[in-house]
Amino acid sequence: MAAAGNIAIGTGAFETLEELQRPGQLRRAVRVWLRKPLGLLGFAIILVLALMATFAPLLQRYEPDQPFQVLNPNYGAASSDVYSDSGDQYTLDQNAGPSMKHWLGTDDGARDTWSRIVWGARRSLTISVTSLLIAVSTGTLLGIVSGYFGGLFDTLFQRLLDSVQAFPPLLLVILAATAFELSVRNIVLTLALVGAPQVSRLVRGNTLALREMPYIEAGRVVGATSWRIMFRHILPNSWAIIIVVFTIGIGTVIVTEAALSFLAVSPPGISWGYMLFVGVSFIQSSPWQSLMAGSAITLAVLAFNLLGDALRDVLDPRLRI
Amino acid sequence: MQQYILQRLLLNIPVILLVITVVFLAGNLRPDYAAQVVGQGQTSGSIEDYQKQLENTRKTLGTDGPLWNRYLRYMGDVLRGDFGTSYLTKHTVTDELGSRLAPSIELGLLQIAIALAISIPIGVISAIRQDTWLDYGLRVFAILGLAVPSFFLGTLLLIFSIKIVGWTPPVVNTAYREIWEDPAANLKMLFLPALAGGLAEAAIIVRFLRSQLLEVLRQDYVRTAWAKGLRERNVVTGHALRNAMIPVVTIIGLLVGGVVGADVVLESLFNIPGAGQFVVISFKQNDFPVVQGFVLMIAMVLVTTNLVVDVMYGLLDPRIGYA
Repeated sequence: MAAAGNIAIGTGAFETLEELQRPGQLRRAVRVWLRKPLGLLGFAIILVLALMATFAPLLQRYEPDQPFQVLNPNYGAASSDVYSDSGDQYTLDQNAGPSMKHWLGTDDGARDTWSRIVWGARRSLTISVTSLLIAVSTGTLLGIVSGYFGGLFDTLFQRLLDSVQAFPPLLLVILAATAFELSVRNIVLTLALVGAPQVSRLVRGNTLALREMPYIEAGRVVGATSWRIMFRHILPNSWAIIIVVFTIGIGTVIVTEAALSFLAVSPPGISWGYMLFVGVSFIQSSPWQSLMAGSAITLAVLAFNLLGDALRDVLDPRLRI
Repeated sequence: MQQYILQRLLLNIPVILLVITVVFLAGNLRPDYAAQVVGQGQTSGSIEDYQKQLENTRKTLGTDGPLWNRYLRYMGDVLRGDFGTSYLTKHTVTDELGSRLAPSIELGLLQIAIALAISIPIGVISAIRQDTWLDYGLRVFAILGLAVPSFFLGTLLLIFSIKIVGWTPPVVNTAYREIWEDPAANLKMLFLPALAGGLAEAAIIVRFLRSQLLEVLRQDYVRTAWAKGLRERNVVTGHALRNAMIPVVTIIGLLVGGVVGADVVLESLFNIPGAGQFVVISFKQNDFPVVQGFVLMIAMVLVTTNLVVDVMYGLLDPRIGYA
């Protein structure tokens, strides 16, 4: 039984579902993961980001929308120049660099950047994780069904997916925004629509390979229904691909969402992409806002890519690219 | 071989029709949405006035009539090359976009040129010196290149250029000149975005090329070449690279197809008057036909490019088409 199952999954660390349940598995898993320090690093960063997003109100130092004021040192000073104005008693602390008071500086509206970055994590993570969850669940279902039954249905369905995949994700969201309101829900649904064909294609490929396995045929011989075979045998052996696609897909969606808000085509709210966009106008005097927002995006994508690569190496090195 | 090509062609016709259908749905699933958005700020007074105005807008926008009717009309229009008319300027979408395509295409081509120039040497070196420090360094570059979004890379390049080197690229829309008119001005505007996009594309190509080359280098015919005593340069370029490049060429083909896609984000960042920037501005001004026409155009180009790449792959790899 162990030998029949491992050919499709590959020579990863866990060969079959049965093996996963044996004792001592935890120790083996830990040893495998320690061999992939980059993967651990990615996972750690993701954990931090997830905590940031969940506990944003606790982690912020100040309100994300609150402008800051500092005392104007020139206030009240006499001046011989008739046209100069010593200014108000308080001026806005705009575009400040990092300091002890503001860890990451302030933005053009004199709001604390650290707090805004913490809140921005919510937008990026919720959109990417939700749309990927939808994409993966529908894509897997469609991929397995399409791959298992094959035939005309499969061919036609693949053409349908091709047509959806012909649209660049960014443009498809903008297109959808011409028909529906630009809300977080619509963005999530559109990006899920874009992601599902890719998931489906990979899962279908895996299903096609698994379909020829002797134990599948054996299942049919003893009278298992198609649905039982698909969910009891093919699906568990597809987890490797699903997990890898999920993690790497999140990175892509984060970038797409950031690009959308960079173009200011996004629903109101704090978003890293929008922070980057606003900060570009102030590059000459103070590039901090852009740097911080952009670094946040890069860090998130990097973390998911590292985790995805490590997962792929562990689960099925043959997927290696 | 011919059967393979014919099969690919036939399979793509329904895809194109489906693409047109998707764009049609985007414009027509909620026909009154466009009417409402366009008519914002023009309503006054009673319900009857509002209804009458809605009806008028519907007539002008062409959204009256049953769905089938509109669908067939739209399909006919598209297949004859009419992609719609802009709400604002009243010119056809094809006119508006066509006049702005030149900067976008030039930017796209420059990006690919830079990407190839960087990625091929790096990919080859990284593969033939696998697991050395050089390889690790280059792979770090590739991983970072994949993680950094192109618009952030563009921002970093801008910051670097303005603050450290001291050179500010032209920021005004009208500073753009065609390449044959004034190459210096043209390149001044396009250099940084081309570099940003090119580096991002290079990261993708490097990873792929490296893994393909590594696989090919393990093959028996390469071992034979080594055994024959050929120089490394000859083995790599003459035998290994040729075969490893085949899948890479398909990726490059897809990138070329994406050139028409107009790098919307970089165009907005560097204020380049191309089709991409125009589409974003149109969207913000609620000029929906432009957006829909542009997306339709891009999708059709991508489907055609995929077809061409498939055929090319079949031609280049002698194993395909004879299965």
